[in-house]
Amino acid sequence: MQVNKLENKNTKKIIFGLFGIFLLISGLGPNLYADETEEASPQKQEDNLPSDDLAAGKIIYEKRCISCHGNEGDGDGPAADRFEPKPRSFKKAEFKYRSTPRNELPTDEDLFRAVTNGLPGTGMPDWADVLNEKKRRQVIKYIKTFSDKWEKQKEKPQVITVGEPIPTSAESIERGQKQFTALGCTLCHGTEGRGDGPTSLVLRNHRGDPVFPRNLNKNWLFRGGGDAKDIYKRVNTGLNGTPMPSFADKLDNEKSWDLANYVRSLSPPVKPERGSLIKPLKIEEAVPTDPEDPLWAEAASSWFPMMGQISFEERLFTPTVTDITVQSIYNEKEIGFKLIWDDRSHSKASKPSAKMKTYTDQVAIQFPEKLQPGGVKKPYFIMGDEKLGVNLWNWRSEDKHVFETNANGILNGEIEQEKSDLSGEGIFKNGQYQVVIKRSLQTADKEKDIQFEVGEFYPIAFFAMDGTNGEVGTKRSITPWYFVLMEPETPKSVYIFPPIVVLLVFGMEFVLVKILKKNRKASGSS
Amino acid sequence: MKLPLIAKAFLLEIGFYLFLKLGMPLITSPLPSSVIFMYMALVTISILLYVSIFEDDFNQFYVPIVDFIRGDENEGIGRKMSRTALFILIPLFVGFRSYQSVKPNFNPPFPNRVIHPAPPGSAAGFMNPYEGEVAHREEYIQEGRDIFYQNCVFCHGDKLDGNGLFADALNVKPANFADPTTISMLQESFVFWRVKTGGIGLPEESTPWDSAMPRWELILSEEERWKAIMFLYDYTGYKPRTWELDAGE
Repeated sequence: MQVNKLENKNTKKIIFGLFGIFLLISGLGPNLYADETEEASPQKQEDNLPSDDLAAGKIIYEKRCISCHGNEGDGDGPAADRFEPKPRSFKKAEFKYRSTPRNELPTDEDLFRAVTNGLPGTGMPDWADVLNEKKRRQVIKYIKTFSDKWEKQKEKPQVITVGEPIPTSAESIERGQKQFTALGCTLCHGTEGRGDGPTSLVLRNHRGDPVFPRNLNKNWLFRGGGDAKDIYKRVNTGLNGTPMPSFADKLDNEKSWDLANYVRSLSPPVKPERGSLIKPLKIEEAVPTDPEDPLWAEAASSWFPMMGQISFEERLFTPTVTDITVQSIYNEKEIGFKLIWDDRSHSKASKPSAKMKTYTDQVAIQFPEKLQPGGVKKPYFIMGDEKLGVNLWNWRSEDKHVFETNANGILNGEIEQEKSDLSGEGIFKNGQYQVVIKRSLQTADKEKDIQFEVGEFYPIAFFAMDGTNGEVGTKRSITPWYFVLMEPETPKSVYIFPPIVVLLVFGMEFVLVKILKKNRKASGSS
Repeated sequence: MKLPLIAKAFLLEIGFYLFLKLGMPLITSPLPSSVIFMYMALVTISILLYVSIFEDDFNQFYVPIVDFIRGDENEGIGRKMSRTALFILIPLFVGFRSYQSVKPNFNPPFPNRVIHPAPPGSAAGFMNPYEGEVAHREEYIQEGRDIFYQNCVFCHGDKLDGNGLFADALNVKPANFADPTTISMLQESFVFWRVKTGGIGLPEESTPWDSAMPRWELILSEEERWKAIMFLYDYTGYKPRTWELDAGE
């Protein structure tokens, strides 16, 4: 008996040992392999900086900042012309985002915040991952040498304090909205805050360049931060070098919060997530062409960020249409798309003699002319290529005209179809376009028109042009390819199969218990 | 108190799962669920093997399970309830999983995109004409910097991290030059080919139709392209990958 026990234990140990070794080997295997390939040099950083802060700041500035802000801190680096807003001039030292009263210099903390977090929606990135706090402070010290305003500054300005918060509520927002109108905010920012007020196209900054009021419906692009607290500060500090005044003398703490809560409420609670697949809503009735038809409220919305077309000359570096929202509805016969995007003005083509050329606003939905086998291959996303053409559904603001084109590459031009099956309507209201374009699922021209079937994935992309921003031809906002899918109806088997499985498993359990009970009886009686 | 064998087995399973799921990411990158499943299967098999080698162990392990399943006339209410719950939950769970598997699932056609494809023959053998010009090197890099900040910065970003102002709008994210797995893993000749022919010049396995990388030969001169590439390497401090020179040096 003793011997037996001992053997028992040893056998266990041996078996376990073997398993342990096996697990170790299979676990370490891939890691040993990975170690071989992961030999990479670290990125070059500013190392061995001089101990003097100014000298160190200069080295950092010349590597990281000079290309936009310029050799002399003038804000005229090589990249400056192609950004909107332009890089800050440290020589002028007119800083927009401060915690200090209007026309005062910012605090070091204000500058530190801008360098650390960047300015959303501009070329200024967040430097925190590349420059540690010490380096950021050193470069701030250095940029203050470009202007003598800092030396002349007699005493530190009083920082605007944010008082006891008033949480957002329907009442606070309503009071804020009244302030918004009473203070004249709508003159620049527009009735619904899309930066489309009556003065919005004629404002100038301290350089004499056009400057545009912020679209308050997109708080993720607020340079100084999109929280109610940031907005509170903005309305109390104003933006130096721009027409945005400080309202500090007209607002107390409560009014500031009300106004901030109202402005915050104009944007969605969180930044929309980028869509990928558009799923149209199936209806029985006709697809509405009126963008304000209540049926559109039932269709899901997809949000797509846009970028300037900078792959082909002439390029658009400073687009004004930064995103587009898309909905879709279909029935047995036709499919419609509703496109929603912000534009601060309804543009018309200027006369040939005009000094500032403007063009019509325009939008387009892009499909491949044909689906490729397998569904992976597509035409080039910027208006196709020589081999694979695209089918474009366009709408322009000037004459509210829907038209259909085909293209084989953006440089080869668009060919308008003489006879198109498209129809649609568009409206412009308070700085926003809403356009519906629809078509029958199938058409007679199988070569040039995309043909729709339920259950297929169709590549889809979008273009938008703001004519007031000089956008025409190749100068346009673009998106990459996404997909649209009309979902087939769920087959009935989906609702039949799982219950059968449930019953089967339950039956098996029942049988198992029966057998076990029977066994016990059998063993009990024996 | 000595733990019953079945409890030990149960704790071992849980412990192992937690180790793989939460412990491993501390040491290495998180394991994919398929690998975790494989390890858990191994653990389960080894536990079963362990308890079934000797009969007394096996009985210790097996009898409580059988007892639980078939129940007893004079068992407590708690045990009866938990058995009933288990007998209802198991079929429901299996039914739910089968619903998930038969339910139609719509995933767009997804290409297996090759990020650094084998370049065509025409891409080999581009030589940097400024390679030997040490005296003017700094000057060329400065010019390359200006070219980068006038053309490339919008997508590849001020920090060269592929996170420029337009990057969010793209499906195929711009290359991150600050990452040690991009330009430092590539030959200069390959980088030059990518800049020259752009996204549209990629072979089909790299989905040229999705890439916004411009065909820079239409916009920048050959000299400008080389200078921009010299800037990328200078700013990040990486060296292009070389084959021939290694042997020569």
